[in-house]
Amino acid sequence: MSITVRSLTKTFGTFTALDGVSLEVEKGELMALLGPSGSGKTTLLRLIAGLEFADAGTILFDGTDTTHLSARERRVGFVFQHYALFRHMTVADNVAFGLSVLPRGRRPDKAAIAARVKELLELVQLGHLAGRYPAQLSGGQRQRVALARALAIEPAVLLLDEPFGALDAQVRKELRRWLRDLHDEIHMTSVFVTHDQEEAMEVADRVVVMNHGRIEQVGTPVEIHDAPASPFVYEFLGHANKLDCRIDGREVAAGGWSAPLARVAPAAADTPAPAGASAAAVAYVRAHELELLPESRAPEAAALAVVRHLTARGGQVRVELSRRPDGAVLEAEVSRAEADALRLTPGTPVAIRPRALRLFAA
Amino acid sequence: MKRHVLPGFSLTMGLTLLYLVLIVLLPLSALILKAASLEAADYWRIVSSQRAVATYRVTLTAAAWATLFNAVFGLTLAWVLVRYSFPGKRLLDAVVDLPFALPTAVAGVALTALFAQTGWYGRLLAPLGISVAYTPVGIAVAMAFTSAPFVVRTIQPVLEDLRPEVEEAAQSLGASDLQVFARVIFPLIFPAFLAGCALAFARSLGEFGAIVFIAGNLPFRTEITALLAYIRLDEFDYPAAAAVASVMLGAAFVMLLVTNSIQFWVQRHSERA
Amino acid sequence: MAAAGRVGDGPLLRRILIAVAVTGTLVFLLAPIAVIGALALGSGIGAFLDAIAQPETLHAIGLTVLTAVVVVPINVVFGICAAWAIAKFSFPGKRLLLTLIEIPFSVSPIVAGVMYIFLYGAQGLFGPWLQEAGVQVMFTVWAIFLVSLFVTCPFVARELIPLMQAQGSEEEEAALTLGASGFQTFVRVTLPNIKWALLYGAILCNARVMGEFGAVSVVSGNVRGQTNTLPLQVELLYNSYNTVGAFAAASTLAVLALLTLGAKLLLERHGHVGEALDAAPVPSTRLSLAGDRA
Repeated sequence: MSITVRSLTKTFGTFTALDGVSLEVEKGELMALLGPSGSGKTTLLRLIAGLEFADAGTILFDGTDTTHLSARERRVGFVFQHYALFRHMTVADNVAFGLSVLPRGRRPDKAAIAARVKELLELVQLGHLAGRYPAQLSGGQRQRVALARALAIEPAVLLLDEPFGALDAQVRKELRRWLRDLHDEIHMTSVFVTHDQEEAMEVADRVVVMNHGRIEQVGTPVEIHDAPASPFVYEFLGHANKLDCRIDGREVAAGGWSAPLARVAPAAADTPAPAGASAAAVAYVRAHELELLPESRAPEAAALAVVRHLTARGGQVRVELSRRPDGAVLEAEVSRAEADALRLTPGTPVAIRPRALRLFAA
Repeated sequence: MKRHVLPGFSLTMGLTLLYLVLIVLLPLSALILKAASLEAADYWRIVSSQRAVATYRVTLTAAAWATLFNAVFGLTLAWVLVRYSFPGKRLLDAVVDLPFALPTAVAGVALTALFAQTGWYGRLLAPLGISVAYTPVGIAVAMAFTSAPFVVRTIQPVLEDLRPEVEEAAQSLGASDLQVFARVIFPLIFPAFLAGCALAFARSLGEFGAIVFIAGNLPFRTEITALLAYIRLDEFDYPAAAAVASVMLGAAFVMLLVTNSIQFWVQRHSERA
Repeated sequence: MAAAGRVGDGPLLRRILIAVAVTGTLVFLLAPIAVIGALALGSGIGAFLDAIAQPETLHAIGLTVLTAVVVVPINVVFGICAAWAIAKFSFPGKRLLLTLIEIPFSVSPIVAGVMYIFLYGAQGLFGPWLQEAGVQVMFTVWAIFLVSLFVTCPFVARELIPLMQAQGSEEEEAALTLGASGFQTFVRVTLPNIKWALLYGAILCNARVMGEFGAVSVVSGNVRGQTNTLPLQVELLYNSYNTVGAFAAASTLAVLALLTLGAKLLLERHGHVGEALDAAPVPSTRLSLAGDRA
């Protein structure tokens, strides 16, 4: 089932949690809502579930308006951040709950419910814990019970609020892969909320980056990674250098370095600043787009810097630099081979120049 | 109109308000209206009559003594229950609630029996020239009994939450036990202590059942305000009953304000800590 | 050198304080119970049973139980409604509403009785109107029911509200997304989570209804064998110098008090079991026996 969200607005008192958000979740897709706390991602998820009601805007499931339906009528599977398992029921009773509250006419008989519960617990690999109480389970197990419980009602869509938020790092990683596999198996339209970009990128088909109640960017993990659409997305994803720069005609310049717009920022070159005028701008250069050169071979238009710290990460080396003369801290990422060739150690002077950058109005 | 996610708001809120209006607000307004219907001069004459003023004095004095006793006894009891372990502690803890569980009239006849001339305690006290039953002391004793748990129960949780590190820090800085108690522990439990005392005092002001048996009920000497209201009602002197009851109601609201403010302060205090 | 133990752990001080606390409790808090027992049974078990079996005392017991049967369920329903509205929703004026609910605990029982006289009595707000309709409320069992409702209306609500606030609404929300109706959600999810607090509130409410003296004595008219509840009967017998009768009647109320304390101990233990099991916060039951605010 597809989900369409149109200009959704929601305020809590004076706080605007969602500010005219529109979004399309396609059938069978696994989508992540990514953003810092207070960005409105959880509010959006709860609005889709019917656990909050919007001040304005509409929500459609497969083109049918569900804006005014209650949570009960929407048939969404919702997995709460802290699981919200019924503490006084066993695992099996938790999973059976959604079936046992169906109106008498549509309620399966006891044996059918038991069979379905068994099947679901097998699916989440917890068949052996059916008789336990939630308090007797680990965090990862509770998470999977919550998922099985949500799936029991054969929901139209599956919504998960910070599904891995309360788990420790190891369990988290396993569960992430497991959720991805599960989704590939059942192909249910699913939306989950996370503040962890790695999680979003690794699990989701598409990622929605949110900030201050608005959507900053929607795209596949690759699109978001390769072409962040706004300064916020750059900063949120991290490992990007922010440079204050000036644009002069068809040239961009920052801290002793300059280059033709056409070469480093082709998109911006199409709309050059008026000739003779000079405009301030902000440029973002990702760590791997910052080129390091031996100081001796520094081209005229390069900036100079000193290596402050090196961190090896797999085949890559992360280089922390201090730009001369202003001491601005920059981050670069080079291959081990390059690092060796440049003989990088703390204190090594180098020349730097961006291979590519993205410009935003200052 | 804001839409609620969980069902039942209108139903439960409607029933709650309806019930409160019928059971609490209507009777409350009836008394206030009755008192307000008196001429100001009449009202003043009733509430400032010598007999009425004597009841205020008797009630306030006895309540003050009762509260003072409970402040000391309650603090000791709370300290012992939190800091020490000894056989029978759970039982002692349970018995603390007895005055709240025991109907006040039953407490009244029992205390009277204890302190009457021939009673277990009266017999011991008579040779010393002390009489409790049918004196203002008896009123204070009855008030102290019925409000005894307040101080214990408000201090106890705060004392339990006190982290040993705080005391250890003070000790490591060279403070003696007495200094640690006076300068570290007591200031930390003081808001709760004060709240407990205020609750005990408020309760004592309104107490009736336990007192009427032991007080002797002599006008000007051992008559409490609640009893005066009762007597006026019995005499069908409705204006006087309304006026005296309205004074008690006013006192109750003042104490409600005081205890609410203290509790607000306690909350802020504990948040800071 | 810092003391080895915590402040006040010295053996001498410790012994003195424990002795003071235990003696004080025995002499001051427990002695009244003992003296009731002693005086009730002082003339032998036969006299005690005779005293209890007096028709007027039996009638008082019956009326007391009837009052509890009427009042407790109503205040349980009120407590659940108030707690649901206050704990599960946000709305302006919540603090005011909470204060309103607590008012009966702050008002002297005598004042409570007087209020009702001025509402339903001949001199009261509705008096003329009731007289015209030929309905007598004051000095009947109805008046006893009404003041008992007033005096005990906060008991259940004040047990449930903090508990339900602490438990939050996530489980109820989960039940809704799983298709449960409001009623199913309450009965199958909320109720099991609050049942001990509810039971505890009801027990406290019951103890107070059965033991209320001041308010009932104002509105009952003390009609022997008609509107005398057990505490009023104690007073009546006591004032007519029937010591055995008075203390026999009092002893039944004392037993009720002890049972209430026992129930409190048991339920607290239940609360703690729940706490250890699933970190569910337990209500602060410390002051809840009080007819006053915690």
